[in-house]
Amino acid sequence: MPYLFLAPAMALFVAFFAVPIGYTLYLGTRGTKVSGLGLGKGSRREVSVGFDNYQATLTDHEFWAGWLRVLGYGVVVLTVMLGLAVLFALLLDSAHARLKRVSRIAIFLPYAVPGVVASLLWGFLYLPSLSPIHAVLHWFGLQANLFDPDVVMFSMANIAVWGGTGFNMLVLYTHLRSISPEYYEAARLDGASEFQIATRIKLPMLVPSLILTTVFSIIATSQVFTEPMTLRPISNTISSTWSPLMMVFTQAFKNLDLYSAAATSIVIAAISLVLSFGFLRVVRKRAFSEES
Amino acid sequence: MRRRFGLTPTVLLLIGAVYSLLPVVWVLVAATKSRAELFSSNAFQPGTGLWDNLVELTDHRDGIFWRWTLNTALYAGVGALLSTMVSAISGYTLAKFRFPGRNLIFNLLIGGILVPSVVLAIPQYLLLAKVGLADTYWSVLLPGILHPYSIYLARVYAGAAIPDSMIEAARIDGAGEFRLLNRIALPMMVPGLVTIFLFQFVAIWNNFLLPFIMLADDRKFPLTVGLYTWLATGANQPALYTLVITGALISIIPLIALFLTMQRYWRTDLTSGAVKG
Amino acid sequence: MPHGLPRRSALGLLLGAAGAAALGGVAACSSDDDKTTATPEETGPVELVYWTWAPNMDKIAEVWNKANPNIKVTISNQGGGNESAAKFLTAAKAGNAPDIMQAEYQMLPSFVAAEAVADIKSLVSGAKSAFSDGLWGLVTLGTDAVYGLPQDSGPMGLFYRVDLLEKYGVAVPKTWDEYAAAARKVHAADKSVYFGGFSNKDGGWFAGLSQQAGGQWWSIAGDTWKVGINDAATTKVAEFWGGLVKDGVVDTQAWWSNEWNAAFTNGKLLTWCSAVWAPGVLSSNVPSTKGKWAMAPLPQWTAGESFSGFWGGSAASISASSKHKSAAAKFLTWLNTDPAAVDLLVKQAQVYPAASAGQSSLTTPPEYFSNQASFWKDAAAISSGARGFTFGPNVNAAYTAYEDSFGKAIQAKSSFTDALTSVQQATIADMTKAGFKVAS
Repeated sequence: MPYLFLAPAMALFVAFFAVPIGYTLYLGTRGTKVSGLGLGKGSRREVSVGFDNYQATLTDHEFWAGWLRVLGYGVVVLTVMLGLAVLFALLLDSAHARLKRVSRIAIFLPYAVPGVVASLLWGFLYLPSLSPIHAVLHWFGLQANLFDPDVVMFSMANIAVWGGTGFNMLVLYTHLRSISPEYYEAARLDGASEFQIATRIKLPMLVPSLILTTVFSIIATSQVFTEPMTLRPISNTISSTWSPLMMVFTQAFKNLDLYSAAATSIVIAAISLVLSFGFLRVVRKRAFSEES
Repeated sequence: MRRRFGLTPTVLLLIGAVYSLLPVVWVLVAATKSRAELFSSNAFQPGTGLWDNLVELTDHRDGIFWRWTLNTALYAGVGALLSTMVSAISGYTLAKFRFPGRNLIFNLLIGGILVPSVVLAIPQYLLLAKVGLADTYWSVLLPGILHPYSIYLARVYAGAAIPDSMIEAARIDGAGEFRLLNRIALPMMVPGLVTIFLFQFVAIWNNFLLPFIMLADDRKFPLTVGLYTWLATGANQPALYTLVITGALISIIPLIALFLTMQRYWRTDLTSGAVKG
Repeated sequence: MPHGLPRRSALGLLLGAAGAAALGGVAACSSDDDKTTATPEETGPVELVYWTWAPNMDKIAEVWNKANPNIKVTISNQGGGNESAAKFLTAAKAGNAPDIMQAEYQMLPSFVAAEAVADIKSLVSGAKSAFSDGLWGLVTLGTDAVYGLPQDSGPMGLFYRVDLLEKYGVAVPKTWDEYAAAARKVHAADKSVYFGGFSNKDGGWFAGLSQQAGGQWWSIAGDTWKVGINDAATTKVAEFWGGLVKDGVVDTQAWWSNEWNAAFTNGKLLTWCSAVWAPGVLSSNVPSTKGKWAMAPLPQWTAGESFSGFWGGSAASISASSKHKSAAAKFLTWLNTDPAAVDLLVKQAQVYPAASAGQSSLTTPPEYFSNQASFWKDAAAISSGARGFTFGPNVNAAYTAYEDSFGKAIQAKSSFTDALTSVQQATIADMTKAGFKVAS
């Protein structure tokens, strides 16, 4: 009976995950062979190249540099986004803040904006001549080029933070709501301030939720793609291989080399797998304690 | 204890709200600008072209924009519905049944989260083309149904919302498994399923790469791909800026409306099961 | 089936007889399965699908469909650029390609190498005389096959703000030396204003400037390719711009960005080395400066010459898998050589037509350039000086390398010659990887 219930999911899994991944693995071992100029009929054949493509990816300096860039970007995004999410969740749950409903909806709203559209909006907002950001900086007596090599990462991180904070905030806030108020009453009677309650009682209780949101955020940032893709046309500093996933896109859609793209994607998936499984192990111990 | 008005927390929240709304406000303002105003006037100064922009949007290629809107609603609506059903059944089964291979199946399904969609889109296209389904509505609907994250959520909800004792009682009363699923399990999971539905709806609504690769016929495009084709016209063709911005505004309105009406039903508590268990 | 799955792969078994009958939902591209297989019927009603990004192509197809009810052309608007080329190749690999595809000239060799487009020499025998030799060479690739018909073209010229050149007291530069002097003069007068710009965002633009200087990035010797991206002519072009960038006297922001549009709008950018399709772009991105621009020939490397290059432009090709090649060829011949159709291309699709007759029949200047009555005559003169060019089978890879290396060089103000060398190396490496023989 359970197998019958799981049949639709498993069938879809085989058709849309397992087989495509298998096919990608296979494509990664293929390449082209050209006879003559490669312009006549039948002058290009698909042949097996063994593990050449995989080897090329693994030894590509640019590929690992991309991982490094994403690592730096990920640290920025994760700390800022989750920090803000925790802050806003605690504020929403605090006794003294007002306008909570409006703020909650407003901060959650960006989640509904498609990535393509979000990047377009920010692309406009980063315009020095039109941007309110520049106006604010100017007010503080600062000048910034948001596409400067040292700054562009933060410009991208900002888009990710803007899009992701609300969602994570809601996850954490819902968790806070499920905690019985009894926990705080005793502290209040002892004269603890709201701030102390938030930092000493609520924050430790949020840890399971935080671990989970962290894992999902790590997966999301390691696959960063939309933000650099959409900012690339307006900045000189984002290369076509800025992030590992962009490298796949460049190989497949710009250099028209499906085989290398397949190999690179398999390597990326493997790295993501290793990264996340470490975390998932930790998480499952906490989230599914009934299983261990 | 008297509720005091806390200035600092309120101000902090408002700053967050303003930051979040800023781009949305900008697109609202920008959609009112004519082409000439777009690059010459201040970012937050309303223009005079909203009506013209809407007319142009509707006239462009015989109103293809509205067709895209309908397509998107179809992809997101039907896709999210199918996805929620599959996730619900799978989540319930994984949470409430003990059977060999349970953890393996669960880990396999969850492992799907780790595979970037960019990686899957091309092989999925090549395989669907093999069976003659590429460039059909199915090619966008089918790959989106299985969503690891939703299955994960459904499992947590089922574990938290359905007491084992109830299932036992129903089984003792001789209820069949299907009846049990339909009459007891699914109704109890509804609040969580609404959340899954909304997640999926938003995810499909915002999906770009999969439909971009799958669809050749622009009459089947969803909004994201359609707007992209307007933005990325050939190098020597003018981009349709005002149309894109007006279109972008219209494309987020339904989602905002959905949020405002459905926000009561959001249940994003991923760990409640764990906390209680 | 040279590409795609081997029939007996484990995958095929998994899928349950790959390529079995479709389970409902038929791909639009093959919506009319012919009963005949060897020589398809061409007399009966056929439906052709045309992927294009030219605006209003559906209206032009409408005109054709009214006159030719038996050959119905359906337009599917795709975005332009690399992604749609990749999409076409993926569709061709999957046997799902449209009948007709708009192909940028530089993409044609890639399409031909992937066997995605058909040789239509026998179907368009009379068309050759309608085009200049330079454009015809772009669809034959110098072989004796014909891989499409030229649709539009982009001979390059210098577009300048008449009023602002006067304001800053500079004449329209006749040579690149004069251009450099003007750039220094204008920027010295006002630090926020630039005479012109250099962009790393469009390899096609740089290739066009290289063509003007006489560069040949790809050439064929026997059965091997030769790559000369860092040849003497192109190195000269790169060093010229590298010097201006290093001194900070040309604008280096990304083209096509909103900021760039704003710079034109606010008079911070005085000129643009572009192609004859520029009026369309300017009128959509910088509508407020209408009537203030004029077009001149590109500055020359040697005074008195009148060379130009091509930037952009595309052919229309018939896919190798199309079942209705001769019907498609009829439509293409009409679209690109019939005077009435070419007129529609100009007026509706806003392109500079490839057909010579079409070019010379243009009289009324674009609305945006209404102040330059001789616009089209000047364009024809510029066009006649555009030098030929051979595109290789991996232009995309070269352009991507150009974007990356020159982006770095702009940012670091480092040597453009070195950047060019790394483009050369990346292009050769990519060709070698794809299995081409490259002469070193």
